[in-house]
Amino acid sequence: MHRLRAAVDLLHALTEADLRFRYGRGPLRLLRWLLEPFALVGVYLVLVTFVLRRPGEAPGLSLAAAILPFQLVMATVTNAMVALDIRRPILLNMSFRRNLIPVSAALTESMSFSASFLLVVVMMAAYRVAPTPMLLWLPLVLLVSFYLAVAAAYAASLLGIWLREFRPFLLSFVRMLFFLGPGLVPLSQTSTSVRRLLELNPFTGLFESYRDIFLTGRTPAAWQLIYPVAIASLVLAVFVPLFHAEQRQFAKVL
Amino acid sequence: MLSSDNSRRCCEHVITVERVGIRFHFDRHRRVVTPNAARLRVATSMTWGLRDVTFSVSPGEGVALIGPSGSGKTTTLRVLAGVYTPDEGHVLVRGRVGSLLSTDAGLLSLLTGRENALLLGVLGGLSRKESKRALESVKERSGLGDAFEYPVSAYSQGMRARLGFAVVDEAEPSILLLDEVHEALDHEFRSIVHERAKRLVEAGGVVVATGHDHPLLELLCSRAIYLHQGSIRADGPFSEVQSVYFDHVPAVTAVTHT
Repeated sequence: MHRLRAAVDLLHALTEADLRFRYGRGPLRLLRWLLEPFALVGVYLVLVTFVLRRPGEAPGLSLAAAILPFQLVMATVTNAMVALDIRRPILLNMSFRRNLIPVSAALTESMSFSASFLLVVVMMAAYRVAPTPMLLWLPLVLLVSFYLAVAAAYAASLLGIWLREFRPFLLSFVRMLFFLGPGLVPLSQTSTSVRRLLELNPFTGLFESYRDIFLTGRTPAAWQLIYPVAIASLVLAVFVPLFHAEQRQFAKVL
Repeated sequence: MLSSDNSRRCCEHVITVERVGIRFHFDRHRRVVTPNAARLRVATSMTWGLRDVTFSVSPGEGVALIGPSGSGKTTTLRVLAGVYTPDEGHVLVRGRVGSLLSTDAGLLSLLTGRENALLLGVLGGLSRKESKRALESVKERSGLGDAFEYPVSAYSQGMRARLGFAVVDEAEPSILLLDEVHEALDHEFRSIVHERAKRLVEAGGVVVATGHDHPLLELLCSRAIYLHQGSIRADGPFSEVQSVYFDHVPAVTAVTHT
């Protein structure tokens, strides 16, 4: 019990410090959290509506449903890749539970993720989409999103140390997953042959689940949540033991 | 694992270091990489930062680590602080460790003094509540005044050391590790550090300090360990070990004795 409380305190302190480090202080912080998802939805809306000419139903809301979970994972990966470098002074000064650092990176970005739900509210109002009882699925879908972000954080922290020169490439790889999934248009608007391939992307189930909850009012299909959980569990099974073994060497390479 | 004989011997000591070795792996660009990363790369090299280092420290001892730059002083302190895990050998440290191992003093530059103090308190083993409660005391101990509320990036090296030491002192460690940090302090705070360190040693605690200001170190430590290229050359009373060190570095002797 004492160990758990100490871990919670440590996570709290690391996350609080990380929030100030990455996003500063005061009301401007909220603005920074909102700016990026709003800007992304704006840009992709122009792309989908005027360039691709495939707006579909409530395109702004559909895009927001994909951008929100994607931004959580993307921002977590960005944070986690430099999380050890940022904490260099404390890593070189004292011993503490370093394997909580990736979780702290995911928690930090969850704060901005929570704030950006304002975007969904704005889009639902703009397209006059009424909330449905499917909103009850939201806590579970949020949990799956966070679980995937934590898994990505462990992989990114370690790869960020092992392959420093490939950090931009790793970010591009994660960004690519948005476009190799139903990020711009819903899965239903893609061809059947491509659909099978897109379903291999762990983001696909998440994007579709958020669309179900906010837009279509359908119950998310089981695979949409089970598949990202399975992929995240696989990543954690590989990278947590590796992280645990490598963390004793971190102070040497920073 | 320690043998039963060694275990008995350990219990008399606060710190036991047995045949400790620390390895550093480099890639072909001479950057330090982890052993696993080294396995994935071609043309890597390896060097020992510490090799076969054995010593122990009893309660109530002040020990100075002396030697030229790159001799392994900081590495040894980092091993004692648990920052480095030995690649070979064993380390046993019994007690609450307070460490100031860099001029950064473990502070994050974008955070204020208060935010850093809170974070370091929790990292040092206090609960969040305890760490919060201790903030005003840390502010007072550091003597930083209003600067406590400003980002640490605006601090001088001495101010950072003051804050770092105040946080460590607040946690009441039984083992104090100081790496040259006290040399960055002003005279007023230096005397506070000396007084605290002396009181800790008198109470049965341990101080292990490194630095190049030997008169300052001698005030804190009656014993010295001379490190050279990652190995121990001499271990004993401060003045004797200092003489051995000066014998090995004639240029230092000449400058010091003029």
